[in-house]
Amino acid sequence: MSEYGVVVIGAGNGGLTSALTLARNGAKVLLLERHNIPGGCATSFIRGRFEFEVALHQLSGMGTEDRPGPLRGLLGELGVLDHLEFVEMKTLYRVVFPEKLDITLKAERQEAVEALKAKFPREGQAIERFFDLIYNFCREMVSMVFLHDPEASREKYPLYFKYALKSSQSILDEFFQDPSLKGVISTYWPYVGLPPRYIPFSDLAMLLWAYIEFKPFHVKGSSQAISNAILDAFIRAGGDVRFNCAAKKIIVYGAQVRGVITEEGDEVTTDYVVSNAGTLTTYVDLIDREHVPAEQFKALGRKTIGPSAFTVFLGFDCEPGDMGIEETTNFIGTSMDPERQYALWRTLENPEAALLSCYDVSDPEFSAPGTSQAALVSLQYAEPWLSIPPTRYNDAKYRYAQGMLDLAEKVFPGLSNHIEEAEVATPLTHMRYLAHPGGAIYGFDQYAKDSNLFEDRRSPIRGLFFAGAWVGPAGFQTTLASGVSAARAVLKSMTKR
Amino acid sequence: MNARDFRPDIEGFPEIQGDIEVLRKYAVDYTTQKGRVTQIINMLHPKRMRLRVSEVRQETKTTKTFRLISPDAYLPPFQAGQYINLFVELGGIRTSRPYSISSPPNQTGYYDLTVRRVEDGFVSHYLLDEVRVGDEFESTSPAGNFSHNPLFHGHDLVFLAGGSGITPFISMIREVTDRGLGRNIHLIYGSQDPDDIIFREDLEDRSKRHDNLTVSMVVSNPPRGYPGFTGFITAQLMKEVLGDVSPKTFYLCGPEAMYTYCLKELEILGIPRRRRRTEVFGPPKDVMAQPGWPEGVSADASFKVKVKGRKDIRARAGEPLMISMERASIILPASCRSGECSLCRTKLISGKVFQPPGVKLRKSDRLYGYIHPCLAYPLEDCEIMI
Repeated sequence: MSEYGVVVIGAGNGGLTSALTLARNGAKVLLLERHNIPGGCATSFIRGRFEFEVALHQLSGMGTEDRPGPLRGLLGELGVLDHLEFVEMKTLYRVVFPEKLDITLKAERQEAVEALKAKFPREGQAIERFFDLIYNFCREMVSMVFLHDPEASREKYPLYFKYALKSSQSILDEFFQDPSLKGVISTYWPYVGLPPRYIPFSDLAMLLWAYIEFKPFHVKGSSQAISNAILDAFIRAGGDVRFNCAAKKIIVYGAQVRGVITEEGDEVTTDYVVSNAGTLTTYVDLIDREHVPAEQFKALGRKTIGPSAFTVFLGFDCEPGDMGIEETTNFIGTSMDPERQYALWRTLENPEAALLSCYDVSDPEFSAPGTSQAALVSLQYAEPWLSIPPTRYNDAKYRYAQGMLDLAEKVFPGLSNHIEEAEVATPLTHMRYLAHPGGAIYGFDQYAKDSNLFEDRRSPIRGLFFAGAWVGPAGFQTTLASGVSAARAVLKSMTKR
Repeated sequence: MNARDFRPDIEGFPEIQGDIEVLRKYAVDYTTQKGRVTQIINMLHPKRMRLRVSEVRQETKTTKTFRLISPDAYLPPFQAGQYINLFVELGGIRTSRPYSISSPPNQTGYYDLTVRRVEDGFVSHYLLDEVRVGDEFESTSPAGNFSHNPLFHGHDLVFLAGGSGITPFISMIREVTDRGLGRNIHLIYGSQDPDDIIFREDLEDRSKRHDNLTVSMVVSNPPRGYPGFTGFITAQLMKEVLGDVSPKTFYLCGPEAMYTYCLKELEILGIPRRRRRTEVFGPPKDVMAQPGWPEGVSADASFKVKVKGRKDIRARAGEPLMISMERASIILPASCRSGECSLCRTKLISGKVFQPPGVKLRKSDRLYGYIHPCLAYPLEDCEIMI
């Protein structure tokens, strides 16, 4: 039996930053991770001569050295910035729907606006006005929400109060006529995991604004490099980590955390747990039911489990240009209708849209010389995969992956002839490695009702805190930040005691 | 001091709050989902499996097939060509060995493991000499990447097998012929002498019955007057039996020496990398012969390895660290034991180890001093953290 100030369950983004923040502030921390490597989604794996990036497509919030964004600041405070080398992407995305549309938006406001106006000349004014709205809205939101203005009011922040909770689709409909234009502007919707109809305007506006202002980035050595850098700093700060060791149970007495039992049966005494395992898993699987107030399950029960992903990892024996891949981030497909795409996420029918990320375009050193790699991904819910008998699983997996490849072939003909390695991850693969219900990569669905405006995320169990996508927006920037917030809350509570 | 709650002033806020009240009434009861994730995953990839020997079949003088069934009456599916890592305890040492499954995935009731005696081996003697029907084992679930990938391998496959390297191929051959899959297979199977050929009858029988399976046996040490192909699997031989090699994908599995030899021959035939698949094959026989082994360190040199928080052990330079640890009862998670799966990933705090060129280490793992002890050899006193 051992004793720790805090036990952090899970070495995903949130668990890692939380463990590091706590250790750097003098807490005695044990970090438990069920897998053999830190990162959760933020990881990589090797096939042949390729190291595949698993999850990171476009890192948000970095900003440049001259104009640092919040994530650069956070990584700097954590002391890991100097150990990482970031690569800026000059382009937001290319959107290609053969015979329908092909447009590339640079990560510069004016250039993006000009490209849109050139493609949709009749809606030039509306495009200008829309970008004005996004910029003014986000300026209000930063000052009011992120900088916590104590005098927030409707009069002071009219745009925020008017638009924040509106459906993104309704704003797009208000501004624009051409469905293609609406599609291009809301291209990032899969980054939230719901079609624009369901995404509050504040999310869509922030996505676009933040990627333009702070630029999309990638990182040398893949997202595994971020995870390894944070873990290394944690170990140097005196933290203990156990891999291949899941938490089996959180011990609670009298509504207070008392300890953790590991998969190996070790009992660890602690008054604080930061769970990066997600609220559902934590309350349902890790804590005995009698210790969780029924109210807590009611609060969770009004939420739905978000999408997972289906990814085909491709290693090519040639450079991206040889296959016509000129941009890092390519949203491709045959159907531009987000409602239709979203409906397909609940089926095993061939997807009609996908994201093809080719990191070698921005970072020619990403793969070995003369080779390149791409992640071809479509989001998907886990349900349809649960209805397949295990004996049919592999066939179903390859059939779906072939559908994705056929889609990629339409935009980049001949790409299949250069495949040297290919690996497939289904929602069940994500479930296996993340142990998340539904293999969810973003936690719960992120409807407007699921924003922190509508819920108190503090746990009724004293000493229990959460980090990661199940208690906030998903994505690297936000999950990394969530761990720091959770750690601060723990430190504050420790001081009070 | 708390600021005034501004939220109700946001347009749409009260409506969403109303929705939430309705949703709470129809809340999902997630408590019924307890244990569900583990249950789903265990159907495909349980961490550990129990297996019981139901049958032992002598294949050749030096080879036996062990038919393994599940006492729990469920075996997870696998892809033909995959292996399981079998745990054994011998003379107080707990260790494990990966074996390809030789039965086809369409046989869901059992896994066959076919094991050949390794002269200077440790585990194979035990399996061949001691194991009886009814014995139980623990293993990992099926893993490995040496399987047919329909996304890019195509339909014309050439299997180059050497000795017991036939095991993943027989599984693939059985699957393709049993299920009537539309793939053409040409197996070129090298053995030392005709008595060594494993699955000879089954292969001959299947190739007679199925047009899409051709088998060419090659014997390197033939008896006088042997009528078949003799020698090694050369480019010349492949050209002769295969005809046009350009659309074919070549798979290679056999003893270490065969890789060096056959990969060169494939080079001569001009087979591009994307049409060559190789199986991993465990620690090299002679690590000192590996490129990059430092001069001046003998395989017999012995070093102190401090396992942080556990104990100090002695480890030979010529032996994978994982094995030295197992001798000292420190068990690392393991599956491939070939440097590939990264299950044994361990941090090297100080000291130097040798890792052969094929070890699949992530770039940033290399940077932060992680090693795969199943294929890492100590070159000086070390400290590691597990």
